[in-house]
Amino acid sequence: MRIKTIKLISLFGTLLLALSAVSVQAETPKRGGTLVWSIGTTPRHLNPAVQSGIATGAPGAQLFATLVRFDDKWNAHPYLAKSWQTSADGLAVTFNLVEGATFHDGTPITSKDVAFSIKTIKANHPFKTMFRAVSSVETPNANTVVFKLSQPHPALMLALSSQLGSIIPEHIYGDGQDPKKHPRNSKDVVGSGPFKLIEFVRDQHIIMERYENFFIEGRPYLDKLVIRIIKDPSARSLGRENGEIHLSAFESTPQDILHSKNVSHLTATDQGYAAIGPITWLAFNTKKKPTSDKRVRQAIAYAVDRNFLVNAVMMGTSRPAYTGIHPDSIFHEPNVARYDLDLDKANAMLDEAGYARGADGMRFPLTIDFGWPSAKPMAEYMKPQLKKIGIDVTVRTSAGFPAWAKTVSTWDFDMTVDVVFNWGDPVIGVHRTYLCNNAKNGVIWSNTQQYCNPKVDAILAKAGQENDQQKRIALYSSAQKIIADDVPIYFTDTVPYHTIFNHTKVGNPPGTIWGTCSPLDEVYLKN
Amino acid sequence: MTDYSIPQKTLDPTFAHLEHPLIETARMFAGNRAALSGLAMFLIIVVVSLAGPWLYPTDPFEMVWSPFSPPGVKGFLLGTDYLGRDLLAQIIHGGRATLAVGCAAALLSVFIGITFGALSGFYRGWVEEILMRITEFFQVLPTLLFSMVLVALFGASLPMITFAIGIVSWTGVARITRAEFLKIRELEYVTAARSGGASNANLIFRVILPNALPPIVVNAALLIGFAVLFEAGLSFLGLSDANVMSWGAIMGNNRPYILLHGFTIMYPGLAIFLTVLSISLIGDGLNDALNPKLRNR
Amino acid sequence: MQFLVITLRRFGLGLGLLLAVLVLNFLLMHLAPGDVADTIAQDAGGLDAEVMAQIRKDYGLDLPLWQQMLKYFYSVAQLDLGYSFYYNQPVTTLILEKLPATLLLIISAQVVSILIGVVLGVIAARKPNGLASHFVTILSLVGYAAPVFWTGIMLIILFASMIPLFPIGNMVDVTVERTGFAYMADVLHHLVLPMLTLASIFIALYSRLARASMLDVLGSDYVRTAQAKGLSEFQVVFKHALRNALLPVVTTAGLVFSGIVSGAVLVETVFSWPGLGTLAVQAIVARDTPTILGILFFSSLVVVVANLLTDMVYRIIDPRIQASHTQEM
Repeated sequence: MRIKTIKLISLFGTLLLALSAVSVQAETPKRGGTLVWSIGTTPRHLNPAVQSGIATGAPGAQLFATLVRFDDKWNAHPYLAKSWQTSADGLAVTFNLVEGATFHDGTPITSKDVAFSIKTIKANHPFKTMFRAVSSVETPNANTVVFKLSQPHPALMLALSSQLGSIIPEHIYGDGQDPKKHPRNSKDVVGSGPFKLIEFVRDQHIIMERYENFFIEGRPYLDKLVIRIIKDPSARSLGRENGEIHLSAFESTPQDILHSKNVSHLTATDQGYAAIGPITWLAFNTKKKPTSDKRVRQAIAYAVDRNFLVNAVMMGTSRPAYTGIHPDSIFHEPNVARYDLDLDKANAMLDEAGYARGADGMRFPLTIDFGWPSAKPMAEYMKPQLKKIGIDVTVRTSAGFPAWAKTVSTWDFDMTVDVVFNWGDPVIGVHRTYLCNNAKNGVIWSNTQQYCNPKVDAILAKAGQENDQQKRIALYSSAQKIIADDVPIYFTDTVPYHTIFNHTKVGNPPGTIWGTCSPLDEVYLKN
Repeated sequence: MTDYSIPQKTLDPTFAHLEHPLIETARMFAGNRAALSGLAMFLIIVVVSLAGPWLYPTDPFEMVWSPFSPPGVKGFLLGTDYLGRDLLAQIIHGGRATLAVGCAAALLSVFIGITFGALSGFYRGWVEEILMRITEFFQVLPTLLFSMVLVALFGASLPMITFAIGIVSWTGVARITRAEFLKIRELEYVTAARSGGASNANLIFRVILPNALPPIVVNAALLIGFAVLFEAGLSFLGLSDANVMSWGAIMGNNRPYILLHGFTIMYPGLAIFLTVLSISLIGDGLNDALNPKLRNR
Repeated sequence: MQFLVITLRRFGLGLGLLLAVLVLNFLLMHLAPGDVADTIAQDAGGLDAEVMAQIRKDYGLDLPLWQQMLKYFYSVAQLDLGYSFYYNQPVTTLILEKLPATLLLIISAQVVSILIGVVLGVIAARKPNGLASHFVTILSLVGYAAPVFWTGIMLIILFASMIPLFPIGNMVDVTVERTGFAYMADVLHHLVLPMLTLASIFIALYSRLARASMLDVLGSDYVRTAQAKGLSEFQVVFKHALRNALLPVVTTAGLVFSGIVSGAVLVETVFSWPGLGTLAVQAIVARDTPTILGILFFSSLVVVVANLLTDMVYRIIDPRIQASHTQEM
């Protein structure tokens, strides 16, 4: 009996060992191969230090390294910096660089390059809030960088990751030419990242190959990275289906996403966009009657059915958004006024506020704008829906994005559909929408609603300097609650960006908070 | 054998407004079965478009059920569109805007075309040269692209769309008008009227133009059909007035969903097809009835 | 000699027309709200005021209007139609890239519609009041009365979705690299449905023209003489009557070129055919003015050239026919 038990146990044990061996084997990345990745827009050039936007950011993050990188849980990990320490008062952050890291031309990456990069970004990158608090960058020795801050700056880490804090070579870009127009932005790019540029043909492809002396041993796994620029979404869809395209990111057409879920070798995931944090919303002009009246905005909020937008218009591919901070962000506060559909309440509010219905059943007219074709359904939805509470909506079509941008940024609107990104830390992409002093006439995606609540300003200012994570979360929580109550913007849903990839071919698909805008050095090709 | 050709009868200006030739035209038309059925179809469409919204008052913009409900479900005869709006209501209400744009654009084209054609055909010389060059310019311009640019730049409102269609479609009318004027101005009764002291305006409007009308009228009728197709094309490409329901707008709205829910496009397309078909049959019938050459066959 | 003079005059007029198109282009470009700085701002996720002012300066948008217009004329004369903000490529390159696809579609559709139209017209002319004639009239009217994009969609649903005989769109299968004969076969396979769709509009027109002029010719003295001489019906119809009947069809084909271009825009959109039409629609959606205007100018150029050619061809063919007719009188 005992022998039998022993035999059983040993058999079971062997099985377990064998299984674990198999599973370990299944997780070992294979080295080699070419990944074919499709994108939908041609980048203007490949240097994200002087250009914002994902078109440059995604390929740029492969060519240029940053001091830190983030995982899928918003934790910062070493990248070009192997360690860092923040001073007690939070006004100095010291980074210790990895030793032996080199640019693609073999030149060592030193602290001087880091200082130069920050200076270049500060002078040229449109997102000024990333490094405004950095008063100087000191370089005590070749492998140490000290950021001196004028105030505590918790956003620093995110600003030093992905496409926001690219480390560029001083010996190339410090030659006096305007970095925004530098010829080495598109050709013979000398970068610091895992892949080096072979060829960039506009509207065709970006071809990169492994930088053999990349400072992370054994990485990247891929030999070659071919980024095919295919503007037509159905062509990309066909390519994925037929196996020629291994990966596409930022796919947001509901039909394409749903269709790919029915293809056996494809996986569609909305992981990887937490840091981009794209939100669709209905913005109000808070300084123009009648939307200047908070009760009117709240009534409209009660009349809009978020669920319909998510399930019918977006066919279930997006998720409801209740605040201006993306639900996948650690700062997201779900317990705010949601204004779930309640037509009776909306009607009652408008009656009480003194906007009585006229003989035709309408209380007052409003216009709604939208800036690009995919926003049209939501704008059109408002017409019959708000009719139910007596608002006569006229949908205004604009002559494309530039005309819409002008209309909205010069405050010549009642309501508009809009999409705005969080860009990692709220300081970078969220504050700009609510600060009193950021209502800049003529600048799109500033505080175009002209919203001004000094209480919110104070909280945001404090949160921007609060190094204690928990305290920060609490501050943003209260800000979101106030904003939800003031409803300068009615948040509807997330933009359904999905990464669609061939799971039989792609191992370690990019799923960190920055998705494909972080280095793909850990991605490998299964065979 | 009696000669039925129009010019004979209307040679004498005093007979110009007798209805004799018109009755004849009507009789020829009535004998043409295809033309009659076209007329009947068109009348039905017009009646439905005018009276329909009163009989079937569902708001075409109202979301009545879940999106893409197939035809017949829950009593919605033609189903629902991408926002869950009643397609039957959209088609019934959409007829008004579609036909209005069609007729208004055709009217605009005819007006411009007659002006250009009459003036150049009558005055000849450098007036004709300039006007004909302008006509050629508009003939060379790619019509759909140019209208698209106008609508895209200046906003997709119903008046703008009507204008954009009308402004590119008049060259055919201009050519026909000019050809007729060239032909008629040499005829005896015209020279007689001129030597009788009639003013130019009088000659143009009361003597020549009425007799030039038959081919222009045929062309004008066909233009309505053409304008309806044009508006549908613009709407399909997304250039429609978002606050007005038209058949083209229905197709444009549901365009991303064609392969999955073809019924949303099929019905408005059918409506346009029947409208243009009936107009073409009417135009053909008018042409046969008014064109003396064919009568002798 | 007179032929040459007329041709030169026409050529000069054509140039004048093109110049007028250019002026119109330029005015449109500047009347419309928004410009390249706004487009760049969109890509960049937002820009501030001074950056945008700098961009505008870089693109020469702060120069006086007439100077900008002259600059524009000068560059067009050098075949430089501007630089696309959206595609980041010279417009001329973009257009030349997409041109072959559109030409393939338009020419094949025209040839097919002329062939089918003439055949149908001849059939109808043989028995002007017979069943076949009415059938031809109805069939061709269907092609004309149905919106061309609707026809295309119906064809896709029928022959690409329900009965998967043909692909639903595009010019080639993006995913497999094909060369030589296999490539051509793939393109042809993708060409069938869009070509038939575009052809359907004009079959009506051509069949009626062919029918009318066939009836004209068949009733003429010349043909009756030929029949009396004992020539077979085949010889009469195909050798003599048909050639004359073909003439108005071919010349009309030149005149309706504008309509073909418009139809092509819609057909290309429905079938995602990578030609100038798709490019034009995308450019209009993206408010990429240089590309839009480049295409406008280019299509006008093509129409002017097509008209010129048709005119010359007509003049070459016409006198001979006139002469042969007068011989018979």
